[in-house]
Amino acid sequence: MEKKQSSGVFGKVSAFFKGIVANLAEIGTTFIEGDWKTKVSYVIMGFGPLMRKQFLRGAAFLAIEIGFIYYMVAFGAHYLKDITTLGTQGRGFNPDGTVRYGDNSFLILLFGLLSIVLILVFIIVWRMNISENRREEKRLKEGKPLPTVKHDIMSLLDEKFGLTLLAIPTLGIFVFVVLPIIFMICIAFTNYDANHQAPAQLFTWVGLENFKNLFSFGTTGFGGTFITILIWTLIWAFFATFLNYFMGMAVAILINKKGIKFKKLWRTILVMTIAVPQFVSLLYVSKMFAADGLVNAYLMKWGIIKSAIPFWTNATMAKILIIVINLWVGIPYVMLVCTGLLMNIPEDLYESARIDGANPLQMFIKITLPYMLFVTGPFLLTQFTGNLNNFNVIYLLSGGGPQHMKLVGGAGYTDLLVTWLYKMTINDTNYKMAAVIGIMVFAVTAVVSLVVYSILPSVRDEEGFQ
Amino acid sequence: MKKRVIALAVSAAMVLSMLTACGGSTTETQAPATDAPAATEAPAADGGADETTAAPADVDYGSGEITIWVAENVQSFTDEQVAAFMEANPQYAGYTVRTEPVGEGDAANNMITDVEGGADIFGFAQDQLARLVSAGALMPITGDYATFVAEQNDAGAAGAAKMGDTTFAFPMTSDNGYFLYYDKSVVTDPSSLDAIVADCEAAGKSFYMEINSGWYQPAFFFGAGCTLTYDSDDMGNFTNCNIDYATDKGLTALKAIINLHKSPAFVNGSSLSSATNVGAIVDGTWDSGAAQDLFGDNYACAKLPTVTVDGTTFQLGGFGGFKLIGIKPQTDANKMAVCLALAQYLSSADVQIARYKAAGWGPSNLTAQQSEDVKADVALSALAEQLALTIPQGQYPNDYWSLATSLGDTVIAGEYDNATDDELMAVLQEFETTCKSYAGQ
Amino acid sequence: MKEQKLHMQHRKLTNGIAYAVLILISAIWLFPFVCLVLQSFRSYTEGNGGMVNYLLPKKFSLDSYKFLFGPDSQFFKWYGNTLIIASFVAIFQTIFILAVSYALSRFRFKGRQLLMRFWLILGMFPGFLSMICLYFLLKQFGLTQAGAVPGLILVGFASSGMGYYVCKGYFDTIPKSLDEAARIDGANRAQIFAILLLPLSKPIVIYTALVAFMAPWCDYIFASYIAFGYSNSYNVAVAMYRWVNTNDYQGYFTRFCAGGILIAVPITILFMCLQKYYVEGVTGGAVKG
Repeated sequence: MEKKQSSGVFGKVSAFFKGIVANLAEIGTTFIEGDWKTKVSYVIMGFGPLMRKQFLRGAAFLAIEIGFIYYMVAFGAHYLKDITTLGTQGRGFNPDGTVRYGDNSFLILLFGLLSIVLILVFIIVWRMNISENRREEKRLKEGKPLPTVKHDIMSLLDEKFGLTLLAIPTLGIFVFVVLPIIFMICIAFTNYDANHQAPAQLFTWVGLENFKNLFSFGTTGFGGTFITILIWTLIWAFFATFLNYFMGMAVAILINKKGIKFKKLWRTILVMTIAVPQFVSLLYVSKMFAADGLVNAYLMKWGIIKSAIPFWTNATMAKILIIVINLWVGIPYVMLVCTGLLMNIPEDLYESARIDGANPLQMFIKITLPYMLFVTGPFLLTQFTGNLNNFNVIYLLSGGGPQHMKLVGGAGYTDLLVTWLYKMTINDTNYKMAAVIGIMVFAVTAVVSLVVYSILPSVRDEEGFQ
Repeated sequence: MKKRVIALAVSAAMVLSMLTACGGSTTETQAPATDAPAATEAPAADGGADETTAAPADVDYGSGEITIWVAENVQSFTDEQVAAFMEANPQYAGYTVRTEPVGEGDAANNMITDVEGGADIFGFAQDQLARLVSAGALMPITGDYATFVAEQNDAGAAGAAKMGDTTFAFPMTSDNGYFLYYDKSVVTDPSSLDAIVADCEAAGKSFYMEINSGWYQPAFFFGAGCTLTYDSDDMGNFTNCNIDYATDKGLTALKAIINLHKSPAFVNGSSLSSATNVGAIVDGTWDSGAAQDLFGDNYACAKLPTVTVDGTTFQLGGFGGFKLIGIKPQTDANKMAVCLALAQYLSSADVQIARYKAAGWGPSNLTAQQSEDVKADVALSALAEQLALTIPQGQYPNDYWSLATSLGDTVIAGEYDNATDDELMAVLQEFETTCKSYAGQ
Repeated sequence: MKEQKLHMQHRKLTNGIAYAVLILISAIWLFPFVCLVLQSFRSYTEGNGGMVNYLLPKKFSLDSYKFLFGPDSQFFKWYGNTLIIASFVAIFQTIFILAVSYALSRFRFKGRQLLMRFWLILGMFPGFLSMICLYFLLKQFGLTQAGAVPGLILVGFASSGMGYYVCKGYFDTIPKSLDEAARIDGANRAQIFAILLLPLSKPIVIYTALVAFMAPWCDYIFASYIAFGYSNSYNVAVAMYRWVNTNDYQGYFTRFCAGGILIAVPITILFMCLQKYYVEGVTGGAVKG
């Protein structure tokens, strides 16, 4: 891994192009040197393997080609042809009042992209089809037998079992994650918003217009708001992660303490916050702290305060309260993770420290903490990136509010980037800006993760932990 | 490598077959229906509405399913009315009608997400009209049906169903306004805001008004004499903004809001079911049942009070709003005819009176408004008094509601508590500029 | 002797403090749930099923539960939908995650690192943006609205392979020498996976299934996007969330609390029974990420 990274971007790019040239060369030589079966395979995929009695492989190639052609003719080409304009024919009404739908920019973009991706996949499969032919010819020339169908199937359960296992999950990720993400990235370069919605109206490519808007700092520009929200997102993620982490660990140590009984009971009580759906518990907690909620009512009844504490309407107070309530949400989970780990620390480490006269705090700092930080590094990282996108806690507690005249786009002071972009899509149908912000969320998360990832010892050394 | 080939083959073949299998459904919707019969406009309404919707029984209307979205509390009522409609119009027997409880706010969001997947007929609050039109979720109502809308309903309701010069919906209620519910044992003088707040403070009760909502907030601004309206074309685009918030009148209104927020009795909110310890609340007719239960014998309603700031006294105004029934654009002329007839029926005088009796919704139909039951209603009379002081709610860009929330939240956060007139004027100026920017000004 | 006694006393004192802290923590953690339970038993006549600003109901009754079990409510339809979705998602997601984790833990193929990094990066895109896109993809297959239940199952597990971290971490801790030994005995990798590894992985299987099972109970956003306009296809979260967030629903607050309790009780019991495995799974796996 290390060596590859050090070769640098330039090296990678040149290697990439060298690879393409080498591939093209091989495609050429295979065609020239190959027999007629191989040559036919250039047009009818899988023809060579079928003729060489490689039925499984040949049929797979052929099926892919037929499927691909059918898809393109029946479905894909129709959308693909309009992808540069995203449609030109608007909606209209017939004289009798019925609607005449024109081009649907949304579907053109979605299925146009799908078609492009499938074309790329098809090219790769076609390339594999050629290598397969070349390999078979080579083996036959050397007088070696080709693998039988039975052998093919068996190897799927043995040395290729990993790929068998990965095939369907990878396909699922492609359709339900990769394709939508490509789509949303594309949306950031279009004018898809409340005034350009399919199927009634067309939207089209606008280049970097939306990114300019994000970084414009006028009264209606998104720049100032974006910076404000970004900063709060980072502050939130930091506190939400590390406060939970240390306090969760403290609770775990407390429960693990020698002589404490009913360990399971304490844990179970805490764990209830995981078991009860957040939309129930957090909504209730949110109402508890409302101006006319339980907490204010009792405080006033007992004469502690005269007027309601503005828990949710004062920005600073709302932020603090959210972080505090998040302790309630997050501590149990950290506690569970830490419980088992703490028991893994060898007891004799503590014993020898105790003999040296260390007090509990010193033991914690010298022994427990370094060990825990080492083993929970990746956990902390996923917690941090999870908190950057922690939609539920913010949305259910404060809904992102309070809003302010200084913030545009419906943003509030406790909005995270992710809740802001959600509001933008649902309330304002402002997909173009939401997509831009989505890309920014990605950028922030990716930068944080990659920096942390590369310095975590336990991640780098994947094999060394067994 | 070989296994990857096979894996890919299997998986790709799966995707392809799944996608191609469904390819047909999208192309279908592209088919233009230019040569469909043009004679499907049902003869419509000049008088008593429902009987006139009957078309010649020998026309074949085909068959299909019609989905209706209505608020949950009128769902069973709507079911009954639909059954009555189908019975009276046997020529539509090929159609099955399904109602779904979808709230008026959700209805607009859902229709905008996917027009094709949305309901054929749906109820919505009129502030969503512009969004729905620009998303293509409403078909224009033309000919006799448009005349029906214009002639049978009060002017505000008929205007609210229009974008530009085109009518897009059938008015269903004109009760989407707000007024004051109060507890007689707490509030002695409902005509002055200062007195109400003082009474609530003294009794340890709360006064509720949702000042961070773009709907309740104009009670102050419009009451003080300010204007905020938008002009729009019939595509749902805003072309012009008429606003004068950044004036002395606007300043008075903003100060009144700030003064209200300073009272310890004030709570921001307008939903009776999530309110506690209520002395008085600014709310609409939809909460009248809950208010009656809550206040019991002390239940009382009134128009909004007056408010005094720096020696000037003005009456709180606000919006008079409407609920509408819309039809999504249809590809089938026969189904469209049925939908039009059904939507018209659901907004007709008799059904509006029945709906008032079943759920307390105040009618928009002129005939229905004159019915004795409607006239006798306490909440509706308070509303009627208040509506005389309001402007019919036109169309506002979605951003406006969010901007108004920002203004309200900033007040509630206490940031303007000690602001000078100049600072407040700067805020109003910014508000005005931003409002204009939504109309491209 | 004396020192030991002192030590004992010291320990008693610290344990006393520890117990005090634990009781305080438990009280804080349980408080909202106690409130929920109390509200769910509040009589409908008291505050019209809406919000109140005191804790103890003046009149206890089963009104809210009667409503949920009664004919006016589709609560059990929604509950059933969620149960179906959660069960299927739990089964398929566990299969997917186990498959991916085993492959990534035990096989070293070209592009493995690349694939893992790619998936890591994919996880950094906010999922909400995909919602509208997924809606139209599912719609092509007829899996929205009327078909939303299978649609939600499909979306629930289809991309779950990306969540392999904890499970792979767990597999990584099982020594590879076991695999080698089995291979010498003539087992192929599929057999090793099924016969050798799975029985050793009970905690992580239970952990994975439990996490997958719980997610659909909380899905109030995506599910409402997919199922809109078809109350028969709602899951319980979508339906209940509307009770407290849509203005048409007056007086549903106590019913909301009661519904919440009806969801929480079975899941909590499930959790309590399986807690041991959950802890083992999460500690075995989370640390390796």
